[in-house]
Amino acid sequence: MPIPWFKPALLLACLLLAVWHSESIVVPPPTKGRIVVKYWEKWTGFEGDAMRTIVDDFNKSQDRIFVQYLAVSAVNTKTMLASAAGVPPDVAGLWDGDVVPFADSRASIPLDDYCREFGIKAADYIPSYWDICTYNNHVYALPTTPASTALHYNTDLFKQAGLDPDKPPVTTEELSAMSDKITKKRPDGSILVAGFHPSEPGWWNWWWLHLFGGALWDGENLTANSPENIKAFEWIQSFSKKYGPQQLHAFRTGFGNFSSPQNPFIDSKVAMEIQGVWMANFISQYNKKLKWKAAPFPYPKDRPDRANSTMVGLDVLVIPAGAKHPKEAMEFIRYTQTQPAMEKLCLLQQKHSPLAKVSPEFFAKHANPYIKLFTDLPWGKNSFAIPKVGIWFEYSNEVNAAFEAVYLMHKTPKEALDYVQARMQPKWEHYKKILKLREEAN
Amino acid sequence: MERQRKRGSLLIHGILWVISGLFLAPFLWMLSTSLKPLDQTMTNPPQWIPSSIHFENYWNAVSYNKDVLGYIPFVVYGVNTLALCILVVSGTVISNAVVAYAFARLRWPGRDVAFALTLATMMIPFPVLMVPLFALFRNLDWIGSFRPLWVPAFFGGAFNIFLLRQFFRTIPFELSEAAKLDGCSEWGIFTRVVLPLCKPALAVVALFSFLGTWKDFLGPLIYLMDQKSFTLSLGLQFYQSQHGGTQWNLLMAASTIMVAPIIILFFFTQKTFIKGISVTGIKG
Amino acid sequence: MGALQEDPQTSGGSELTAKRKEAFAGLAFASPWFIGFTVFLAGPLLMSMYYSFCDYSVLRKPVWVGGDNYAEIMHDEVFWQALKNTFVYAAISLPMGLVVSIAVALLLNTNVKGMAFYRTIIYLPSLVPTVALAVLWLWMFNGEYGLINETAKRFAVSPPNWLGDPLWSKPALALMSLWGVGGAVVIYLAGLQDVPQSLYEAADLDGASPWRKTWHVTLPMISPVIQFNMIMGIIGSLQVFSEPYIMFPGGAPERSTYMYTMYLFDNAFTFQKMGYASAMGWILFILIFILTMLALKGSDKRVHTGAM
Repeated sequence: MPIPWFKPALLLACLLLAVWHSESIVVPPPTKGRIVVKYWEKWTGFEGDAMRTIVDDFNKSQDRIFVQYLAVSAVNTKTMLASAAGVPPDVAGLWDGDVVPFADSRASIPLDDYCREFGIKAADYIPSYWDICTYNNHVYALPTTPASTALHYNTDLFKQAGLDPDKPPVTTEELSAMSDKITKKRPDGSILVAGFHPSEPGWWNWWWLHLFGGALWDGENLTANSPENIKAFEWIQSFSKKYGPQQLHAFRTGFGNFSSPQNPFIDSKVAMEIQGVWMANFISQYNKKLKWKAAPFPYPKDRPDRANSTMVGLDVLVIPAGAKHPKEAMEFIRYTQTQPAMEKLCLLQQKHSPLAKVSPEFFAKHANPYIKLFTDLPWGKNSFAIPKVGIWFEYSNEVNAAFEAVYLMHKTPKEALDYVQARMQPKWEHYKKILKLREEAN
Repeated sequence: MERQRKRGSLLIHGILWVISGLFLAPFLWMLSTSLKPLDQTMTNPPQWIPSSIHFENYWNAVSYNKDVLGYIPFVVYGVNTLALCILVVSGTVISNAVVAYAFARLRWPGRDVAFALTLATMMIPFPVLMVPLFALFRNLDWIGSFRPLWVPAFFGGAFNIFLLRQFFRTIPFELSEAAKLDGCSEWGIFTRVVLPLCKPALAVVALFSFLGTWKDFLGPLIYLMDQKSFTLSLGLQFYQSQHGGTQWNLLMAASTIMVAPIIILFFFTQKTFIKGISVTGIKG
Repeated sequence: MGALQEDPQTSGGSELTAKRKEAFAGLAFASPWFIGFTVFLAGPLLMSMYYSFCDYSVLRKPVWVGGDNYAEIMHDEVFWQALKNTFVYAAISLPMGLVVSIAVALLLNTNVKGMAFYRTIIYLPSLVPTVALAVLWLWMFNGEYGLINETAKRFAVSPPNWLGDPLWSKPALALMSLWGVGGAVVIYLAGLQDVPQSLYEAADLDGASPWRKTWHVTLPMISPVIQFNMIMGIIGSLQVFSEPYIMFPGGAPERSTYMYTMYLFDNAFTFQKMGYASAMGWILFILIFILTMLALKGSDKRVHTGAM
């Protein structure tokens, strides 16, 4: 019986073809004599397109370096792994919270020498943003698009409740009183409209502590359960006590996606909330008819020193450890830090500029009517960023869990924050010990 | 009697329809979302029927980022996924058949202990191996290539060894003895006597490994570093953004394109597939 | 090809060579697995054992810290909570999945028309990418507008807030896991086809009702398959990851859906604690091992071993 030889041969051919393809694909394509700088960024969608425009501009501006842009999800984890494997990108666009953990695990390189070489200095930036990029007296990152936050409020809902739409709350006490006036309930007790919802959008639960004069650490130890912090969470819980935790919670689960017409603020379900500079953009995208205004977030009556508080966040560029072309990567980063490029990027992403100098055209072109407010707030002394604690991701998880417990009234603020302190302080000490061990071992 | 049977089968059909409806829901939802305009994808309450049908979502999903990259990424991902599937499926079938043959039809010292150990490896949670495997491939300088994803497939795996062993044992040993007397080598018996009788089981192993590879997300996520080398499941993340802004309709369109070939494959091969498992009989 | 014809009157010596030959062939055939087992399983397993006694962040060399990781785990409340969550989830989803998949398989085994069609449909959700599935589930279980609660309200039942209530979030996840029974159903169907028709005929002669036939013939006959699926179910459900990871970031509400593997993954890749994660992995391995052994022992008495 003759063996049908062609079948195995065909299979073998397929197999060899697959091997050839899989091996050929990972060989980088030749690039007409240009040095290729690999750039990983977290953004897709319109923010990604904005960044891509800047990359294209840079690639057109010279013929020595070619920046290859790639959007990567979970960019921090992926960059860390790639660095560990010795195949990192040359530039990575990370979050502000990554700067310290990356520096601690030596996943990104200090940029001090490059900054000196390229003439990049602290004075070029709004201080609070420059500060996010530095750690242990070294520069580890440089800014791309920043974010500051303010109170956004729905003037139509204000009018309906008989409030003056030109008079936003100035103190947190006023905010609570106004919220009571605006909040509407159905006969069965469920909420129809909320004046203020403590966990909407719920992205910066740790930030309330700062508003009330507290902090998450004192530069040495964690201070999760300081009296000021407890006060902040008591204020959060006061809304649950008034409106019912179950009602607030059921109301929240009915909210649509942030980026949709069913966003509770855009849908006129929540009248006042803390939001970032990008909000105007989403409002005009999903509901042009919405009448709204922005103002600095109110401060507690007994803490006038905390007026004009804002949360400052930042997207940053770092050069991962083991990058093949750090110098060329820096040339690209330098390009993004020039005023024209930075303003173009921030306009496209609908944010303000992190630079100290801003051109009048930038404000003129900007679609956000409150762009001046968002640019001015970060200059103030009450601009609070993520604390520079190496275990921030774990710490913030705990603070969020405590916030949830307080907001659902499963714990008193003191219980919740005592728990965070008891759990995280030993971990923090352990972490510092480990850092020392690592230094000795490597 | 006849009428009773009719009523019974009607009842069964009725129940099956309800169950099918429940199982179809996610798929129909995917289909309906893939045809919607973006602003209708995330409405409260959800809409099942799109107000206007947008077939162009499919083209937009496939050609997403085409202008930027200078090639159609979706096609590249598809070719990569196919190549990877060919490698993994052939590796899995060849290696597991060979190894299962040793466990099923040959006597050698330490065989039973080795088999018990093999079964025990099924219980190792993947996360335990994730970190050291990554370190291993890093030392081999394989990160960023396809090798970590397909080379291990050529060395067998517990589940498939177990499945094929059960199957190989059902083939009468007299056949092997007869072939031996005819002067067949052990390799000859394996390729000419045992394998031809085991096609259904091999088909099952092939299909399971194909489905697994086609859908695998974690492996490519950890090991692939360059966009040109991405697979389809990894490519899906490009429609997603970490801060809202997700292109749900394109994501669902891409998912639909990705799932369609597998559904067709399953529909037409399931006979072999069910038979294959049934003859193996997963009875200890 | 040129193999020596063995003399049928084999002497002791040549029988030995035959044995030796077979042993040699066996080892040769099994050799790929020895290599695979050593390189891709045993080696990494021992490495992770070593890592579990170290502090190890990806970019630094591991630093030996002895039993620190294990000591910390014992005092780590989040670890215990994640462990509890996982067990509660498994305790709900395993029996549910078992009953549903057997029931569906029995229905599909009744020789109805359109079998291929139904089978494909049951298997469909297992093919849909998890990202797409997760979005759908979020809609289904939405407390205010979800499809499930909309339906419940029609029947004047006041439904739970599935995703927002820590009490209901795990049952919601377990309900979702039912969409993935396709694989188990396929395996049961195969087992059902192996049940000899003669047994049913005998039962028919005794005038047994369909219900009794199922209970006394079918289920005992497929008990080995049930056992197999149960063990696979234990192994799988204790490692549940992607669905809760995508749907409940951070294990919301109140960490009620924070599963063991999520915490492990966070430790390894978010907190940069590879050593801690390895220790957690080992603990999970041991737990799965003990449970599987218990399940094997406990069900062995009830498993009917047919003629194999």
